[in-house]
Amino acid sequence: MSELTLTHGRRIVQGLFLALFLFLFIQTESKGADELGWPVKLFLDFDPLIVLTTFLASHRVEGLFWLSFILVGLTLLLGRVFCGWVCPLGTLNNLAGSLRKKRPRAPGPGWFRVKYSLLVGLLASSLFGVQLAGILDPLSLTIRSFSLALYPAMSYAVTSLFDAVYRLNLPLVTPVSEALYALLKKTLLPFQQPWFAQGTFIGLLFLGVLALNLVQRRFWCRFLCPLGALLGLLSRWSVLRRSVSEECDSCGACAGVCQADALPAGKETWRASECLVCNNCDDICPSNAVRFGLLKGQSTGGLDLGRRNVMASFFAGAFAVPLLRISPLARPRMSDARLIRPPGALEEAAFLQSCVRCGECMKVCITGGLQPALLEAGLEGLWTPVLVPRIGYCEFNCTLCGQVCPTGAIRRLPLEEKQRVRLGHAAIDRGRCLPFAHATPCIVCEETCPTPKKAIWLEEVTVRDRAGKSVRLQQPHVDLTTCIGCGACEKHCPVVGQPAITVTIAGESRSQEHQLLLQDPAGPAPPGI
Amino acid sequence: MKRRDFLKWTAVSSAGLALPGSLPVLGRIAQAARGPDLVVARGTPTPQVVRAALDALGGMKRFVARGDVVILKPNIGWDRNPQYAATTNPEVVGTLATLCFEAGAKKVRIFDNTVNDARRCYRQSGIADAAAAAGAEMVVMDGRKYRDVRINGTALKSWPLYGEIFEADKLINVPIAKTHSLSGLTLAMKNWMGVMGGVRFRVHQRLDESLADLCRVIKPTLTVLDAVRILTANGPTGGDLSDVKRLDTVVAGVDQVAVDAFGTTLFGMKPEDIGHVRLAAQAGLGVMDLSKLQIKRISV
Repeated sequence: MSELTLTHGRRIVQGLFLALFLFLFIQTESKGADELGWPVKLFLDFDPLIVLTTFLASHRVEGLFWLSFILVGLTLLLGRVFCGWVCPLGTLNNLAGSLRKKRPRAPGPGWFRVKYSLLVGLLASSLFGVQLAGILDPLSLTIRSFSLALYPAMSYAVTSLFDAVYRLNLPLVTPVSEALYALLKKTLLPFQQPWFAQGTFIGLLFLGVLALNLVQRRFWCRFLCPLGALLGLLSRWSVLRRSVSEECDSCGACAGVCQADALPAGKETWRASECLVCNNCDDICPSNAVRFGLLKGQSTGGLDLGRRNVMASFFAGAFAVPLLRISPLARPRMSDARLIRPPGALEEAAFLQSCVRCGECMKVCITGGLQPALLEAGLEGLWTPVLVPRIGYCEFNCTLCGQVCPTGAIRRLPLEEKQRVRLGHAAIDRGRCLPFAHATPCIVCEETCPTPKKAIWLEEVTVRDRAGKSVRLQQPHVDLTTCIGCGACEKHCPVVGQPAITVTIAGESRSQEHQLLLQDPAGPAPPGI
Repeated sequence: MKRRDFLKWTAVSSAGLALPGSLPVLGRIAQAARGPDLVVARGTPTPQVVRAALDALGGMKRFVARGDVVILKPNIGWDRNPQYAATTNPEVVGTLATLCFEAGAKKVRIFDNTVNDARRCYRQSGIADAAAAAGAEMVVMDGRKYRDVRINGTALKSWPLYGEIFEADKLINVPIAKTHSLSGLTLAMKNWMGVMGGVRFRVHQRLDESLADLCRVIKPTLTVLDAVRILTANGPTGGDLSDVKRLDTVVAGVDQVAVDAFGTTLFGMKPEDIGHVRLAAQAGLGVMDLSKLQIKRISV
């Protein structure tokens, strides 16, 4: 392999895009300013599946949606080059696939059609208002898995290693390892160890996707990827075509190296919709019979999905809508008390129609409080972000989650507006609160309350302890007109286990039905769209 | 106690014993040679006020020797800009760092165990920039470096404290003056909560005693109280400019209890109004009786 082939070029490009992807991923973290300085959600902006399904479900498009037209145009021109040359999950699948030494199996006859069925199902459900594409979208899937599982696990492993060397306190070794650790902290490691509910599960799912490469290389890309399916549909009209000249002696070498189910071996069978334009068939052909060129050669081997299949997928996707919506949790005033959404989140129905569960907001959340929902919002809300104040509160001066959301499910609010958004209200549990229940002074909730006029106020009272002794202390109260439900009080409450002050969705700005007060002297909260 | 100090002390006390009744006089003479107990400097610009305060106290060279590693401990607990007076004024911190370097310090390290996110606090307080401009290191505190310290106090028997403050050559406390709903005020002594590890919000149950207890084991070389802006309500977090009062004042001294005692007067209070100041003075950890202190007031 001395001469530089197109395959080499492709691998270099894949490496560069993976590096860019990882770089932007690492930059999805605060450095103390309220801007990140990098377009960290760039890959998601280019994703036409996310733009299309979000538009179908919510009838809205977000800021940089037009970038996805570039990918559509590129695919119309050159086919699924995104899959073969750009997609970070595709590249990771390539890497994982290299662990499989055996030649590829003969492709199952219709397996490649599965992804089209998934795509049709996802489009159908989004058409009727349920946005599920993010669960399977490869970019969303990868960012979510990295954010919530792989990166935290990597951080944990590396930190544990350096901690062990630090504790051993070895001469010469520990100073070097500490210097290296400091360097890693500045570059690759997160500022603090992230902890995510379901991290283990989400990580296992992703490793499962990679492990499928042992069954068949690029199993995900061939059979499951709905973005690949969408780009495959567009590729049918691509002007980049593959031709096979008369020199072909049907040796079948190309069939063994094809990364997808594009059937390169037969002269008439090549499927443009499946071809990842990886150029393996061109490079390996001993007779140099394969050519990729613009508008030369036959257009396509066709893509017959079968009307029944398409109809079945469509109805399955459509039926998912009522099936998911019969949960009471999706109804106003019946929702989970702890379904605290990030500041700027749309009203719940609209939020669910827009959120693609990419995990960007959870990755960027400065306190780590944004966590993936399990069933708090019903199955429809799986992996959407929920603020869990005990893990991390909403930082008063931070607007990062709204900045990184690719679909506007969390609106990007000016700081002043964000500071007035109520995520809910705090409420005190007098049975657990130290000054109320135990005649013991404590003002931590009041101390950490960030609103300029503190939403927690203290009443000076005299109480008696068990011995009958008078104790002068201050008892906290929540002022509903100033409390924004950020959860700083709940986070810092010294009562272990179930804290003595907790935030619930009561009063959250984004829902008319969830308002608590008839009249709000602080003026109307910013409307949730 | 170093040998030289011991000899000096022995000389002074034997002189006192030799001349009964003259000890306070001699003490005052010895003190006058060292400089006043407290310097209260007022004016603008802030860096010059800080310099003047240190000069009046005998210069930074009195506290920092060539090659020293110095720790500056400002209050950076909250994610606020300097004008809200929730965090120590960055010019005060920056000028102190510069003065340390001028006195020959090898390294100046600055940190606080913040309540809000450290990245935001360091940056939004302006202290990260001030540190960088002065050539000081802004250190994110390392969870592994807290160690249990025997305190033997009335409320705290032992507590995890940040090891570096005991290892450094010199430790300078740079608090800001603010209100606090439980301790009344947060000044110098309360600023040591920023080197506490563990579940430090538990100490609020016996806060005054705990703060006095911290002063049993944390003995700063110098304390510089920032009262350029003070926060008069809604402390310690603030957030409303109408709660901020501009005093353009810096209070410097060696006795941290004395600094806090004077600090109470900035809010129209008396030292004994603040529980932890009273307790610390009673425990002999410093002087709160302002009439017994030599206070030098200067204007810039």
